Amino acid sequence: MLKLFQHNTPKIHELEKASSAIDVRELNLWFGDKHVLHDISMRIPKNKVTALIGQSGCGKSTLLGCFNRLNDLYNGCKYKGEIVIGGKNINHAKVNVARLRTRVGMVFQQPNPFPMSIYDNVCYGLKLQGVNIRRHLDDAVESALKEAALWEEVKDRLFESAHLLSGGQQQRLIIARALALKPDILLLDEPTSALDPLTTLFIEELMAELKQRCTIVIVTHNMQQAARVSDYTAFFHQGRLIEYADSDTLFTMPEKKQTEDYITGRYG
Amino acid sequence: MVNLIRGLFTAVQRQSLVISLSAFFTSLLLIGLVYIFILIASRGGAYFWPDPLYLVKYQHSNQSYSVFAQIHEQNEEEKIVQLRYSHANNPYGSFLMLEEQSIVSQQQVLDVAEIKLNDGRMIFAAPDFLITPQHARAALDEYSQVVGEVETISSEIERLQQDTLAVIHQSLVELNRKGVEADAPAREKLQQRFRAVLSEIRELETLRDNYQLSIRFADSRTLTLTVAQIAQINLVNQLSLTEKWQVVARNVWGFLSQSPKQANTAGGVFPALFGTVLMVFLMTIIVTPFGVLAAIYLSEYAPDNSFTTVIRISVSNMAGVPSIVYGVFGLGFFVYTLGGNIDTLLFSDHLPAPTMGAPGVFWAALTMAILTLPVVIVATEEGLARVPKGLRSGSFALGATKAETIRKIILPIASPGIMTGVILAIARAAGEVAPLMLVGAVKFAPNLPIDGEFPYLHLDRQFMHLGVLIYDGAFHSQTDAKSASMMFASCLLLLVVVFVLNVTAVILRTRLRKRYLQG
Ligand SMILES: Nc1ncnc2c1ncn2[C@@H]1O[C@H](COP(=O)(O)OP(=O)(O)O)[C@@H](O)[C@H]1O
Ligand SMILES: [Mg+2]
Repeated sequence: MLKLFQHNTPKIHELEKASSAIDVRELNLWFGDKHVLHDISMRIPKNKVTALIGQSGCGKSTLLGCFNRLNDLYNGCKYKGEIVIGGKNINHAKVNVARLRTRVGMVFQQPNPFPMSIYDNVCYGLKLQGVNIRRHLDDAVESALKEAALWEEVKDRLFESAHLLSGGQQQRLIIARALALKPDILLLDEPTSALDPLTTLFIEELMAELKQRCTIVIVTHNMQQAARVSDYTAFFHQGRLIEYADSDTLFTMPEKKQTEDYITGRYG
Repeated sequence: MVNLIRGLFTAVQRQSLVISLSAFFTSLLLIGLVYIFILIASRGGAYFWPDPLYLVKYQHSNQSYSVFAQIHEQNEEEKIVQLRYSHANNPYGSFLMLEEQSIVSQQQVLDVAEIKLNDGRMIFAAPDFLITPQHARAALDEYSQVVGEVETISSEIERLQQDTLAVIHQSLVELNRKGVEADAPAREKLQQRFRAVLSEIRELETLRDNYQLSIRFADSRTLTLTVAQIAQINLVNQLSLTEKWQVVARNVWGFLSQSPKQANTAGGVFPALFGTVLMVFLMTIIVTPFGVLAAIYLSEYAPDNSFTTVIRISVSNMAGVPSIVYGVFGLGFFVYTLGGNIDTLLFSDHLPAPTMGAPGVFWAALTMAILTLPVVIVATEEGLARVPKGLRSGSFALGATKAETIRKIILPIASPGIMTGVILAIARAAGEVAPLMLVGAVKFAPNLPIDGEFPYLHLDRQFMHLGVLIYDGAFHSQTDAKSASMMFASCLLLLVVVFVLNVTAVILRTRLRKRYLQG
């Protein structure tokens, strides 16, 4: 994979120079006997949107789950290699995983609001951190909902059940829930695949704003979306990183045949 | 045989045959259930309904008798009826089986009454006249006024006993404790006062017993009752329908609020109702946390290996163990072993009289908790398994630990499942009788497990239980129809109790579901 960085196109130099939020070094991962990720090495630059694309089952969600150690939930999951976030290898046994997850937020494919009020959903993480003062919580809820562009729609019904929101609103609530913790990195796993086109657009615009504040890694099946929102794109195939470049280059002049086939829709 | 059926019908016919057969059996089952319920409700309800009274003249071994009686149909085909009658030689009611043709005449007479005594016995007779200290023969119209006077005297007696006598007795006990000599003047004085109050009470009692009611039986012989003895007089044949329902309401209330009388064949079932509810309540308090914790451990923490599987299988098999086995276990382990050891450790000054080492309501609740534990565990595990995966990951992704996720997300969402388990446990525990009889439920308990005496909740006391009362009633009823209806009434009450407990739990569960489930 290191070969990738030795190419001489100026854009790739840019990728190399940018300070990285996540530095993946020779990551291998197994579910039981199944080798799911093979020798992944990549640097994800700070305050950019990086898209992960590839056929389903190629390991994108699994890689995303490595960044906040969510794969730990599955017994039988083993991994080797380093992932450096904030100067520390998060795969180290002594890492405080709960703390890591407050720094690295995650949004899932299916909106998964908790069966509580909108307000309680947003302060869930903060309350776990021991924030109990009502005023602080109020402020945090308001700013997180504003960042997720949901505030105007729900400010009058903060204490209604989150299940009463529409799918798109729910997904923005999940984003607000993650943003309330002011994370450095936001992981989005196919965040718009269950939503209608209008809400999708809405969330895409949101991403462009959010990258001022944090690094965004997004998994998507939608090529147009990847091209629209991301600065960099990584293409995976069967657990291997095939090609990684800035999105303009990757979508216009892919180096590898496999990448070209995939983005032109010849398979997958 | 199978081939024969195949040959006879086409596939479609076979299918519709299966459907109609199962529909048939389902409706048969339903009809059976409805029949059982109607039987219990009507037989139990009869206990409260004021039956009409007849003047019955009958022949028996060539002698003719006339009695006031209730007539119960016994066997329509063989034309046998059962009489419950009162007679001067046998005023408190007795039963008699008669062939219909030996009855010479039967007619409803207006002035005959059902007279209930305070001790639970019942007399069928016509009230004649009142005897008061002022009048040797007062009219019946004055009955309510006389009752008022008697009650005044009774409350005066009560007051003397409660306030004066008890206080003097207390002071005497105090003197004993201080070791004051037997002939000390203070003690003499108190004892004198005690005797004075006692004789005052005796006088009042005599006065009270001077209020009497004279009643007449069918053969014109009479009997005198003191008014203080009488609980209720119902002139049943004169009652209008609304008045009859009033009597029913009064009877139901008496049934719910009084203690059993006459060896559980009359009176009410309050201690049994109380004991049942208390036992179920204690059991719920014990079984819920243990069952939930065990289920959480099994499904969230236990490693996924064959040992856990074995435990899971054993838990579901435990639900099938006959309940009497739990009773024996409770007696052997809780009462004798645990209770015995607690006695030697904590209550050694009371030995050899056992404190905890004897059957009691706490051990009964604990035994029932063990019996219903598998139900709660299995239902809770199902509830836990139904929590959507996305919510777990969502909680973990926000930095929650496993314990926090369980407490804040998983348990609330699983709570309808937990409630289901608790409902099943309650229904099971309220209906069990056999194991309870080994570990603390008795036919008659002198005291309730809760009273005004420190420490108020006496977990070591034996208690009465509706199921035991029904069981006991079934033995009486082999000879005695009216106590059979008390058995049916208890049965009805037990059904109502279980129904109310269940409905409460179901309502709670629905509310939890609404609150915590998607949509
Ligand atoms: N919890 C798990 N246990 C076992 N295998 C898994 C698990 N999660 C994912 N896998 C396997 O890992 C591979 C990658 O899955 P995933 O990362 O979800 O793919 P995608 O790129 O579609 O997100 C798939 O072959 C999947 O079957
Ligand atoms: Mg995926």
